[in-house]
Amino acid sequence: MDFLSNFWSNVALGFGVAVTPFHLMLCFIGVFLGTLIGVLPGIGPMTGVALLIPLTFGLKPNAAIILMAGIYYGAMYGGSTTSILVNTPGESSSVVTCLDGYQMAKKGRAGPALAAAAIGSFVAGTFATLMLMLFGPWVAGIALNFGPPEFFSLMLAGLTVVTSLAGRSLVKALFATLFGLAIATMGIDNQSGVPRYVFNNPELMDGLEFLVVAIGLFALCEVFVNMADMKGAVQERLSIKGSLWLTKEDWKRFIPSCIRGTLAGFFVGGIAGAGAAVASFVSYGLEKKSSKYRDELGQGAIEGVTGPESANNAAAGGSLIHLLCLGIPGSGTTAIMLGALLMIGLQPGPLLFIQQPEFVWGLIASMYIGNALLLVLNLPLVGMWVKLLDVPLYLLMLFIIMFSFLGVYTVNNSVQDLVLMVGFGVIGYLMKRLDIPAAPVILGIVLGKLMEEKMRQSLVISDGSLMIFVNRPISLFLLFLAVVAITNPYWKQVGRGIRRLFGGAATASK
Amino acid sequence: MKGNIEERIASVVLIIFSVVYLVGAFFIPMPALKQQLGPGAFPIAIGFGMLALAFIYAWQQFRTAGKVKEDEAEIEKRAVIIGAEEKIEKKVDLRTMGFILGLMLFYAFFFEILGYAISTFLMFMVGVFYLDRRHWLRDLVIAVISSFVLYYIFTVLLRVQLPAGPLKFLEF
Repeated sequence: MDFLSNFWSNVALGFGVAVTPFHLMLCFIGVFLGTLIGVLPGIGPMTGVALLIPLTFGLKPNAAIILMAGIYYGAMYGGSTTSILVNTPGESSSVVTCLDGYQMAKKGRAGPALAAAAIGSFVAGTFATLMLMLFGPWVAGIALNFGPPEFFSLMLAGLTVVTSLAGRSLVKALFATLFGLAIATMGIDNQSGVPRYVFNNPELMDGLEFLVVAIGLFALCEVFVNMADMKGAVQERLSIKGSLWLTKEDWKRFIPSCIRGTLAGFFVGGIAGAGAAVASFVSYGLEKKSSKYRDELGQGAIEGVTGPESANNAAAGGSLIHLLCLGIPGSGTTAIMLGALLMIGLQPGPLLFIQQPEFVWGLIASMYIGNALLLVLNLPLVGMWVKLLDVPLYLLMLFIIMFSFLGVYTVNNSVQDLVLMVGFGVIGYLMKRLDIPAAPVILGIVLGKLMEEKMRQSLVISDGSLMIFVNRPISLFLLFLAVVAITNPYWKQVGRGIRRLFGGAATASK
Repeated sequence: MKGNIEERIASVVLIIFSVVYLVGAFFIPMPALKQQLGPGAFPIAIGFGMLALAFIYAWQQFRTAGKVKEDEAEIEKRAVIIGAEEKIEKKVDLRTMGFILGLMLFYAFFFEILGYAISTFLMFMVGVFYLDRRHWLRDLVIAVISSFVLYYIFTVLLRVQLPAGPLKFLEF
């Protein structure tokens, strides 16, 4: 009704913003750099977006987010290329693509594999953008009625969902989240003006810059990991032989798996709020269950490439809904983007749709354009991207160091930040060694301040009673979600315990 | 098991860290104006949460080894489903790592003193000569581009300020 009548004018507004020569160029640069990063081994989207944030400092918010979204999308695409040709995923969300993609390439069908990944990603990305366009304003409209208690519970739910999916050990992931929240408490307290954990250091008055932590934990950590094993295995690269294009038979198998992947990915990313990596695994599982060719999976079936690749792009687009409409990031990468937006001075959330429509719709329009650009950029140029794998590792690492320093220095012009960043690089390496996930730390830092603020506001409303979080239905529901997310790994054990209590020997068989 | 010793040390470090953070939280001064939930409450809650988790972690690491193994298979299965990142368990080249850490710290130290362009050039070349000097001429060109040319691009074209150092006289 109200939304629908505004819909077309919003779309027009968006394309009006996005289709200016400057913004088109930025979109192109974004997807280009993103693909570059995605292809380069060892630099995932998280590292990439964090490293390239400084590029956006000189830009206006509209231009900045267009560039950033381009990088995000491009990195998602780029990762699949290395999965298929080298059997090394550029990022966690294309780990599954290796399974069948590399097998296809081994059989001399690298071309169709790359094409399937690219087209699948395009379809899924476009679908997710369409959904964002249709449902974004609606979700934002609901969230507009949220008070502080709902927002607090929402953030708690978001944190727990991401945390519960973040790694092997729930305890470690939770600790990482709390560590992030702890870092967020550093600096002057907004509401009382009291300094916390400042250690009489004037540069810490504003707290720790999130980029310092993000680049340290991801980019420099990557350098340490690679340096720890410089003489790593020489990668064997498969070349692309034969046609890039899909045969008729391929198309027949491509379409259903693409649809399944897209829907599954969108559900996982857009509704459940989990990231692209989870989506790709869910999709692979789905293919294993429902595909006609399930027996071929693992031996180079096209479904094994199309499904997960569609899914991770649909999820990437879906998690932008959370980011833009609710202000809650659903994955590590979107958390970094949220941090970047906050640095620019934008607070994503329901109000954004109303206060800055040109920003939101401009971004949406540029996502369509970016997706199309990626398809053009990726298929014909795949040979060029593959050449990038020839960049020697040591040069790549020196470049990462350089860009990390460049980026972090430009935030505050502070050498202390640089030293802190190196410190977080070491912490990041130790965390990786101990298998403690780093993404929850970033999430905690980005959400920490806001979460505390909402909690304290809620308690002012309720005059100090914690019951306010339980008395409101939406808030209660969100808290319930949080509990479900946290306890999820233990259900099986509880279920087994109950069955053992009642069932006895019948179910005890393994 | 070597990995287990590492984790045991880590769990103790995490406990110490949590305690230090928690103690710090209790020392946060109260503001003059009484508020609903002062500035200390949130950090205290976080601190207790971390402490509890650190203890659980320690307990997991210090309890008998046989039980852990059974769990590990289960955890591994779950990790495959959710796509947890690969665990790094290779031999560590400590010398190279130490070198790179030193390089980073020196880079940070000289970043403002020598300016972006010169310090980056030096960092790059030192890195190249330590890590792989076979293509030093090519790498020299790359170093010049990424230090001096990039400095020009950032300061002049993108208008992002970078430290000039001794090259200040070149400013436009």
